[in-house]
Amino acid sequence: MSAPRVAVLFGFGINCDHETAAVFDMVGGRSERIHVNHFVEGNRVLEDFDILAVPGGFSFGDHLGSGRLMGNRMRFALREQLHAFVAAGKPIIGICNGFQVLVKTGLLPGPSASNPLPDFVQRASLTLNDSGRYEDRWVTLEFDPNSPCIWTKGIQRIDCPVRHGEGKFVMPSTTDFDALAANHQLAVRYVDPATEVGHGITDEPLQFPLSPNGSMRNIAGVCDSTGLVFGLMPHPEAVYAKWLHPDHTRGSAPGPSSSEALGEWEGEGLQMFRNAVEFVLSKR
Amino acid sequence: MAITRVEVTPKQGDGMRDVRGDVVRRQLMADHGIEVSDVRSISGFLIKSSRLSSDISPRVDDLFSDPIIEDAVTDELLLSSPQYFPNTPDAAITIGFKPGVTDNPGSAAYDGFRTLFPSEEPISDASISTYQTYAFYGLPDGVSAEWLASTLHNNLIQRAVIADATSCLEANWPAIDYPEKPPQTFVPPQPVDLEIADDDLLELSETGLLALNLEEMQTIQGHYRDEAVRTSRAAVGIVENAPTDVELECLAQTWSEHCKHKIFASKIHHIDTETGEDSYIDSIFKTHIMKPTHDMQKEVDWLLSVFHDNSGVIAWDDKWSVCMKAETHNSPSALDPYGGAMTGIVGVNRDILGTGLGARPIANTDVFCFGPPDWEGDLPDNLFHPSRVLRGVHAGVRVGGNESGIPTVNGAIVFDDRYIGKPLVYCGTVGIMPRHLPDGRESHIKTPTAGDIVYMVGGRVGYDGIHGATFSSLELTEESPSSAVQIGDPITQKKMLDMVLEARDAGLITCITDNGAGGLSSSIGEMAEYTNGCEIDLAKVPLKQPGLSAWEILVSESQERMTIAVKASDCDAFESMANLHEVEATPVATFTSSGMFHVKYNDDTVAYLPIEFLHDGVPQLQLESEWSAPHHPLFVPDDVQMDSETGHSSLLLRMLARPNIASKESWVRQYDHEVIAQTAVKPFVGVERDGPGDAGVIAPIHGDPHGLVISCGIAPRYSDLDAGAMAAASIDEAVRNAVCAGVDVDKIAGLDNFCWPDSIDSVKTPDGKFKLAQLVRANRELERVCRAYRLPCVSGKDSMKNDYGSGENKISIPPTLLYSVFGDQPDVRFTATSDFKKAGERIYLVGESKEELGASELAFMLHESDEAAGIGGQVPLLPNPERNISTYRALSTAIQAGLIRTAHDCSEGGVAVAAAEMCIGGRIGAELDIDGTGDSSIWSRLWGESLGRFIIGVQPEHEADFVEWMAGHPLTYLGKVTDAPQLTISDGFDALVVVDVPAMVDAWQNTLDMTGGVS
Repeated sequence: MSAPRVAVLFGFGINCDHETAAVFDMVGGRSERIHVNHFVEGNRVLEDFDILAVPGGFSFGDHLGSGRLMGNRMRFALREQLHAFVAAGKPIIGICNGFQVLVKTGLLPGPSASNPLPDFVQRASLTLNDSGRYEDRWVTLEFDPNSPCIWTKGIQRIDCPVRHGEGKFVMPSTTDFDALAANHQLAVRYVDPATEVGHGITDEPLQFPLSPNGSMRNIAGVCDSTGLVFGLMPHPEAVYAKWLHPDHTRGSAPGPSSSEALGEWEGEGLQMFRNAVEFVLSKR
Repeated sequence: MAITRVEVTPKQGDGMRDVRGDVVRRQLMADHGIEVSDVRSISGFLIKSSRLSSDISPRVDDLFSDPIIEDAVTDELLLSSPQYFPNTPDAAITIGFKPGVTDNPGSAAYDGFRTLFPSEEPISDASISTYQTYAFYGLPDGVSAEWLASTLHNNLIQRAVIADATSCLEANWPAIDYPEKPPQTFVPPQPVDLEIADDDLLELSETGLLALNLEEMQTIQGHYRDEAVRTSRAAVGIVENAPTDVELECLAQTWSEHCKHKIFASKIHHIDTETGEDSYIDSIFKTHIMKPTHDMQKEVDWLLSVFHDNSGVIAWDDKWSVCMKAETHNSPSALDPYGGAMTGIVGVNRDILGTGLGARPIANTDVFCFGPPDWEGDLPDNLFHPSRVLRGVHAGVRVGGNESGIPTVNGAIVFDDRYIGKPLVYCGTVGIMPRHLPDGRESHIKTPTAGDIVYMVGGRVGYDGIHGATFSSLELTEESPSSAVQIGDPITQKKMLDMVLEARDAGLITCITDNGAGGLSSSIGEMAEYTNGCEIDLAKVPLKQPGLSAWEILVSESQERMTIAVKASDCDAFESMANLHEVEATPVATFTSSGMFHVKYNDDTVAYLPIEFLHDGVPQLQLESEWSAPHHPLFVPDDVQMDSETGHSSLLLRMLARPNIASKESWVRQYDHEVIAQTAVKPFVGVERDGPGDAGVIAPIHGDPHGLVISCGIAPRYSDLDAGAMAAASIDEAVRNAVCAGVDVDKIAGLDNFCWPDSIDSVKTPDGKFKLAQLVRANRELERVCRAYRLPCVSGKDSMKNDYGSGENKISIPPTLLYSVFGDQPDVRFTATSDFKKAGERIYLVGESKEELGASELAFMLHESDEAAGIGGQVPLLPNPERNISTYRALSTAIQAGLIRTAHDCSEGGVAVAAAEMCIGGRIGAELDIDGTGDSSIWSRLWGESLGRFIIGVQPEHEADFVEWMAGHPLTYLGKVTDAPQLTISDGFDALVVVDVPAMVDAWQNTLDMTGGVS
């Protein structure tokens, strides 16, 4: 069976494209870094791919709000292609700046469960961290086990770096959050690592730096109602190997004890990408 | 053209914050102790286009404001809206750019504007200008709006419009207008008469900011007296017997100290009054840096390219080579800390991109030297307070590095009063490239041939950045020009970088270099040496605004530009690649083999200089150097009044709080240090990830643990006693930091970056001979230590005019060498960090503590507080470097073998501070006994900074193997890690230090946390 094809966008200040492409390759995908304009100008078509990844970075310098200008380019120039991609049941991930882009195109959190296809209406935003600072620090994440998100299946808790200045997830009203929570679209939250695994998730805002940005309900990432489109601020690709975890010199970097990809050194972040590759294979 | 104003402000409401306003409020608190109840912010856009407000207004939520979090108005001021600003502020201040200053948000907004209005052609004078307004509420009495405005903007590049309390009450709001650039007039190239008296030649050099001395002016004068020259000039129709302004400017840039390193190349008459030495050195650079490296190049196979390219290249494995370069950007950072530092980091990134046929930047390093952030003394005119310099430089480097997607993996911040006069901003970048391109060419070798087309790629040329190279070769004065300051544009550069690396892999590039100092005159001029000639047409160069004169186009240092040569047959492919990436690429020149640097403006020849004269015509300086050791009152620790109870314990807490030692975490954490997913040892380590890292370790090939170590050393304090010792200490510290990470000590390359005060004896520098002797001694030590360590210097730079003012008010920086290293790390899974790991871990000192407290951090601290008479005494020396490197090899291989997971170098503050930092990282205690660590006093064994030392921790199960591994090397058992969260250090039975770990954490972390918190 041929490897699922992954389009990893780059250009205009996206800068995590190399590592995002690499992690898909480690878990059986066949990735290609493709400049956004190849899709805009029709040199390439999204339809040829099974998975779309919008990596982290500083598209257009994050001027006028993170992900805004890239979101606009995609919203106006790739509208039909993106709609068809989701309608075809293909997974999309946005990481960090990619998450911001997906939120600002309206792909995340997306319309209601009853009418799940993209309508490109922005319903949420990611705004400046309460601290006012861009920071690179490690956080602990916990996942909603009942989420329809195909990316997070079976993942309970992982450590990850965040590297952003605008990661505070906001929506206009509590009812917006309640609706997403009911659909289990609040797929991943910042949690206190001192809590028992499986019991970390809380709606009460955590103190800085447990929550690095003051995100409402400690939201680190959300999926759309289909579970195919997923975005998060932290960087799972940055912990593909245990040697990237800060505790590896202490002999306590968490992760699977063995894997085909990296032996005993696979990091906790890789499973998310494996989930998507396996999802595509399972649909064939 | 219509101008439409759009203003945006964060929504008020539950859970929403005005973070930009908050940041201003917190900084007023942190830097000035001023408490303001609330600050609100407004982002403004002035849109100059063919669209009317009625077109733009309905689309505001699509571009300028985010409807979920922001409110916006069109063609009115938000402050005048009772709906959005119901309360009257006590002051309102609007900050915008001056005309012609790079406005990155404005450029991005215009790009987005064209996404909304695709029919809007890229009209050259349509654009968007941005501004910020801050409204202050609850301003304490005595804080004036004018003063607030002065803290919020730099009038060199920005404008402020102010509404004080009265104006606010009268609703007289600050409305800023569109910054229309003043029209520039093209002045045709003029001949410059050099047949004038010597005094007039010098005056011409000074008034024209040429920074050339009399001999250099005379050399140029002589060139135009040559009959053969005159004949050849007549043949191309250029003025025969005099330079054009284009030529004179071009020579001034190319011959500047900044570009030609004339002091390092000079012939020095050196006298040592202590030894009686009286000798000549024909080029410090060739003698002490180049020669040793070339000697080493004969003995190893991994030194691929040294000195001649934009960075030094070493083979890392069979498939990949790595390169590194560090630069300084001191003068621009003094004038505009933010813009100066940003252009520093994005500029050195371009050096990497311009290495060989193009390398990919994968890691940055940043080392800063500032005045004390809590400085309360006087400030000379036109100098910023050190805290403001720190904030601005940090922000510039943060934005430049983060937005470029390059992790900052290593660095340092050093403080000394004298850096008030000139901050030092060192920016370094590591790059990687495949050893061979798909077409088989070796990527570290440029392959231009005559006939190749030369493109200018990336940004356009503007009036900004004229005279940067010559300006940095002069001392800072009140009249320093604002055109020498620029703001970087990381996104334009990132687009260019993506495109250039794609072009490289497609085999389209034959030669590449960056446009830095000297602009096109340097970049094309240097590349033209390969083929021995070029012909440039300046009229083809795309401009930011019309009207630039020919010489301005040639020497402007406008940022984000590369110069790239392409075979004529590849031009179509190259241009279509540039189009796809939305990168401007314009053919502006052709390589020739004519032997001439031939510059035209349309059909007219405006400069016609022999390549040889341009590059090798500058006469060698003849300089005088004279050494006599400086005298400082001795530091006598036994004279210090010590509290018998707390004694060394309270000294330890004071030392941990010293800015030079204190944690820089709140600053460093704002750099992305993990993008590219390769950083295996991060800048901060340990249980809480806040202990000091010694070196950056990266594994740049995804899935492969093969690593690279990046570290640095800097020790300017020692220059007060001996700049030679300073240099040796810098190199040794850099190497030891790398050893802590398990570097292969036989495959390390180094970079020497010298920052010196003016060292040319003259009326304004009466101590020039001494300062030059400091340089001589530093370089002699550099050669001695590097030869012993077999450590080649593959690249370097010098900045030789780091002074402010003149006469009694003159401030000269302490002579400062930053030594950076990058080296092979065989497997990042086997590395070490400074944090103690767990109770029971055995602690050893590697190396010996000697009686070397001269110029130590402790001596400086106690001298500054008047507890000690001076800082004099024996400065740390490196008498037997061969022995050191042998010990380092043993320790590093022990780390690679997995015997050791804990290692920390012992430098500022000696054993006491190093042990404290290791406890902080591990959040765990330790019991140490310094008896037997050297034949020196308690003070030296506790606080001394003797070189060659490490503290290591080894787990009990590996202890016997480790001790055996280190047989024959200086190794002393110190004690062990304990469960009790307390550090105790004793000397035999005498307890010297007993301090709780939480107290050490507080002392270490509070000094430089200038964030103002998060609430």
